[in-house]
Amino acid sequence: MLAALVSHFTRRLMVAVPTMLALSIVVFIVLRLLPADPLGMMLPPNATNAEVEALRHTMGLDRSLLVQYGIWLGQVLQGDLGRSISSGVPVTQLIAHTLPATLELSFVALFLALLISVPGGLLLYVLHDRRGELVADAALVLLISIPGFLWGIFLMLGFGVYWPVLPFSGRFSSDVVAAGPTGFVLVDFLLRGQFGHWLDALSHLILPATALALGFSPLIVRVLRASLLEVSHEQYVTVARLRGQPEWRVILRHMLRNAFLPTLTLIGVQFGFLFGGTLLIEMIFSFPGLGNMMVQAVRNHDLPLIQGISLVFCAVILLINASVDCLYAVIDPRLRTS
Amino acid sequence: MSTLPISTRTWRPGLSPLKAAMRASPKAAIGGAIVLMLVLIAIFAPYIAPNDPLEQDLLSPLLPPAWAADGMAQFPLGTDSLGRCVLSRLIFGTRIALWVGLCAATGAMLAGCVLALIAAYFGGRVDRAIGYLVDLWMSFPPVVLSLILMVGLGTGVGNVILSIILVDWTRFCRVVRAEALKIRRNDYVTAARLMGFGHLRVILREMLPGLVPLILTLFSLQIGIAIIVEAILSFVGLSVPADVVAWGVMIADARSTMQEAIWTLIAPVVGIVFTVFGFNLLSDGLRRALDPRQRARN
Repeated sequence: MLAALVSHFTRRLMVAVPTMLALSIVVFIVLRLLPADPLGMMLPPNATNAEVEALRHTMGLDRSLLVQYGIWLGQVLQGDLGRSISSGVPVTQLIAHTLPATLELSFVALFLALLISVPGGLLLYVLHDRRGELVADAALVLLISIPGFLWGIFLMLGFGVYWPVLPFSGRFSSDVVAAGPTGFVLVDFLLRGQFGHWLDALSHLILPATALALGFSPLIVRVLRASLLEVSHEQYVTVARLRGQPEWRVILRHMLRNAFLPTLTLIGVQFGFLFGGTLLIEMIFSFPGLGNMMVQAVRNHDLPLIQGISLVFCAVILLINASVDCLYAVIDPRLRTS
Repeated sequence: MSTLPISTRTWRPGLSPLKAAMRASPKAAIGGAIVLMLVLIAIFAPYIAPNDPLEQDLLSPLLPPAWAADGMAQFPLGTDSLGRCVLSRLIFGTRIALWVGLCAATGAMLAGCVLALIAAYFGGRVDRAIGYLVDLWMSFPPVVLSLILMVGLGTGVGNVILSIILVDWTRFCRVVRAEALKIRRNDYVTAARLMGFGHLRVILREMLPGLVPLILTLFSLQIGIAIIVEAILSFVGLSVPADVVAWGVMIADARSTMQEAIWTLIAPVVGIVFTVFGFNLLSDGLRRALDPRQRARN
């Protein structure tokens, strides 16, 4: 079973390789449309033309687009994403520092989103064809209309400014030093037994993660309700009812488990939505993650950094999609034999 | 057109069109009413707004709304940090939101539907190629792709629209293709082809009409999405020049003063949510009203 899973996963990853290559071409070409000259950022304003040309040559910017892409791809394959123009630090190093923070934020947000949306979906299903349906329905549409970054602003105002119960800036308090093997602070502090610091890091995560989760969960609620309605006509549900099982047991034991499969698909497909959402949330909460760095890089026209971060974003999403595919096999026994 | 009665039940004479629409699909009717109101506000903005949205009154910055103790009747919703009238900016912001929403949704619809119809009609290799392109595009987080595009294209309203089209055509393409494949299998399409009609005629006259309800639903949904994306890009500072009044810019401006002047933040937020809510409600209502499966249940 495990071996089959691993081989399935590797096969999925093999398929993702050409996709990744194609994505890198798209990113490369789009960024070369740039009207502003990236060299403008690197040279002092009084640089002579000869100096500009010299730098252009050392960076390979005077060659054809194809050659530039070839050089860049060769370096990427050796694990070299170039150096950030604005800070001079290697891009891989910058990403290695910030990626764990963003992943941690996304996973906590995903967990919170499930915590919100499973009861929400059940509630909407129970309300189906009852008097409250129209109101609940309109409320759901209203919630879908509020993007995550607005939730971020609401939460920050509510729980950070007016009723200051939670911190809303950074990843942990300034007196806390994070130095761990994994880079995921929640794991690191636990491993080292620093529970005070762990609570501190968790409290910093609550507001941004909730904002992300609130932006994401209405989508899950909608699909969960639809699939609950669909399975409610299945024979096994009728059989369970005829066996005299209480309605809550029919819903939780028999319907929810089956209705969860389409929901899982949605989560896989829409994970990019959640993961991309970290961009603005991190900016609003000054969270030192990949998204915040991306916004800075975009403002500074820092090409190597933008390219590197975009690729990492895509790679994470392809990985998640492959993992969700494999999760299917674990959850749905019908898929296991094949 | 938004208040047209899309009746799923029998038409009852004597019922006013408005009431009929409410009865057939309350969500579509309310959503349509909100959209109609916003369109009117956008068109007549110069007549409704109490002040020039760009005029700075540096003597009265951060005034509270008129009903507060030290508010001024001249500025019903107060002023921002540069002394500009918040209500007037809110009203003029409708224009850019609707313009971007409408243009971006139309563009994404055209691009997505053309590719979807070509894929579904010709099938085989063409279909696989277009399908691969959609999958590829969707591996980008939408926000990241639109940011990269804005960096590549440069700021400006036209480029915002273009970047939203380039990001969101996939939504139309994926959904419309799936539906078009179903329609393609119908006998009347085969019959039309056997009668020797040209490709274009079969696609436009036989396949497209059956897709119109779905496309309309997606279109309304897409306007809402485009408005949010525009607000996000303005918020990051990548969307429009400083002399254009946009809700995202208002939110970004208000962030620095939100502790002392919360109304400068609330106004654009309410504007965005209300507008997107209107379009989503319309889309949701249309989906139910136009879906034959739902019709059977009623």
